[in-house]
Amino acid sequence: MPEPMIRVRDLTKRYQRGGETLTVLNNLKLEMEEGRFYALMGPSGSGKTTLLNLVGGLDSPDSGELIVAGENLAELDNNDLARWRAANVGFVFQGFNLIGVLTARENVELPLKLTPLSAAQRRKQAETALQLVGLGDRMDHRPRQLSGGQEQRVAIARAIATDPKVILADEPTGDLDRKSAEQVLDLLVRLNREFKKTILMVTHDPAAAERAQSIVHLDKGQLGRIEHNQPAVAAK
Amino acid sequence: MFKLVFKNLISHPIRSGITAVSVGVALFLICLLTSIVTTLQSGLEAASATRLVVMSSISLFVDIPLSYQERIAKVDGIKNIVKWQWFGGYYQDQKNFFAQFAVDPDRMFEVYPEVKVDEATKQKFLTQRNACIVGSQLAAEFPEWVETGKIPITGALFPHPSGAAWDFELAGVYRSEAANFDNRTLFFRWDLFEETLKGEGEAPGVGVYVMNVEPGADIERMRAEIEGMFENGPATVRCDTESEFTRQFISMLGDIPMFLSWIGAGVLVAILLGAINAMLMAGREQTHDVGILKALGFTDGAAFGLLITQSLILCVFGGVLGIALAAALEAPITLALGAQFPGFFIKDSTYLAAAAVSLVVGLAAGAVPAWTALRVNCVEALRAKGA
Ligand SMILES: Nc1ncnc2c1ncn2[C@@H]1O[C@H](COP(=O)(O)OP(=O)(O)OP(=O)(O)O)[C@@H](O)[C@H]1O
Ligand SMILES: [Mg+2]
Repeated sequence: MPEPMIRVRDLTKRYQRGGETLTVLNNLKLEMEEGRFYALMGPSGSGKTTLLNLVGGLDSPDSGELIVAGENLAELDNNDLARWRAANVGFVFQGFNLIGVLTARENVELPLKLTPLSAAQRRKQAETALQLVGLGDRMDHRPRQLSGGQEQRVAIARAIATDPKVILADEPTGDLDRKSAEQVLDLLVRLNREFKKTILMVTHDPAAAERAQSIVHLDKGQLGRIEHNQPAVAAK
Repeated sequence: MFKLVFKNLISHPIRSGITAVSVGVALFLICLLTSIVTTLQSGLEAASATRLVVMSSISLFVDIPLSYQERIAKVDGIKNIVKWQWFGGYYQDQKNFFAQFAVDPDRMFEVYPEVKVDEATKQKFLTQRNACIVGSQLAAEFPEWVETGKIPITGALFPHPSGAAWDFELAGVYRSEAANFDNRTLFFRWDLFEETLKGEGEAPGVGVYVMNVEPGADIERMRAEIEGMFENGPATVRCDTESEFTRQFISMLGDIPMFLSWIGAGVLVAILLGAINAMLMAGREQTHDVGILKALGFTDGAAFGLLITQSLILCVFGGVLGIALAAALEAPITLALGAQFPGFFIKDSTYLAAAAVSLVVGLAAGAVPAWTALRVNCVEALRAKGA
């Protein structure tokens, strides 16, 4: 059996609040295969975002092992972790998280600055990514001049611009209307199928979760059941 | 990354503009204040320790007798002696203020080799009784003098017996490269001065005697000897080196240099606080962006750079503005300060210091937000509200 893309072992994460210690993730164990599309569901406050941030190396656990894209994250210092993120992980957030003063193209080019690409190559790759998400005609728009759905697609273009192995999406459709949400989900499914991206998507929406190949349930810091859907269906 | 720095700066044009301009204005002021102090100091530094000045022991404004000249000249080690008298007149209008002195024309150039005139000017000044020489700065202010060759000066302290102005004829223009000798004074001949007034009765007294000394002369002995010579009157004198004399003259300005330094320091603190405030605001607004950058894989150092660079650009831009303003206005300011501050100039080292100050202000103002950006946890930064 091939090495899983994401391997989580005995993962524990606690937060201190006031005098209390809150154990958000408790000895979590999880493995995710390369090239699969996972949906992560669970009640609010169950630790979904926390888990996603840990997998993406944005935060560090109190204990346990995290091996993502072949790298043991505990062994990386802050700077190495940043470099590892730049090369291996693309993030898509609920609130889009685009930089307001930059145009769509500049936002997508931003992570490419961490690669050895030339300015011309960066530009070309950013344009390709924007065309892929259907925004070839909006490249010079600022985030404020775009709809929520368009913003999220720019964010997806940014997440895939460096061609990372893993895409981590935290409620990417949470702020979107049905139609925009569908477009975003179509994109994610396509990235998974055509480009073999491993995707972990947090969602509250069962319909969105249905688009994934597996659904992972998280509750009270523990992993619940894992459902395996029929291989994901690209819409329409 | 530089694009992001730049776009952040221009996304708040008013704030960026105000910050840069206030740094600029402050540095301009600091250049100005510093230069007033350095101008005073350079006069002091250039003042000779081997020239002696004799003045009344009571005050610079009290005359000493004409008869002292011969006696002082005999003191061992004195090379030349020139007498000065403050004339206190004006040209056409009281507000055309500049200094005029009656001096011994022949000795003047001996005692003050740093005062340069061409040969024709020197000859005319030495031979023509009503001739005068004026400094180059003064000549530039009153071009009609050079055109007509006539300089009528109304004697406020020493009215001309005829009741009219004193009619001086311009022998030429002098130029002094030494900071202790300004280019904004008129010198005319003592003999004209004395003889014109003698007809009225009493001969005028002398303001100060200035002497240069033989090489290797014992200055302290000469000072003691001269002061001792007139100990029993009719007028007691003090004899100082020119540098000591200048120092005392400047100290008549009281604590002005110190006061100016305090103002400069105050201005500096004010802009520093202003720049810090602007950068703290920028830092708060960009916390969310810093979170995004870190999530994308930019290092903590890059986050630090994002903010410190903005601060440096603003302050250095302001610094360039202030220095350019000071350089552009140096000449008009020198003119405007004219009489009060002849010889005002801005040293190159002052410009360098101003540039260094703008860098330091840039670093200091950006330090806190940049350090915060470096330290902030990515997840927390992302939770911060974007601009
Ligand atoms: N920085 C923090 N400090 C203290 N407590 C935190 C912090 N971040 C998260 N928590 C707590 O940890 C728990 C899990 O938070 P998390 O954001 O992972 O939940 P979630 O499953 O993503 O919820 P939601 O569906 O509402 O986004 C919550 O109780 C939250 O209040
Ligand atoms: Mg969440």
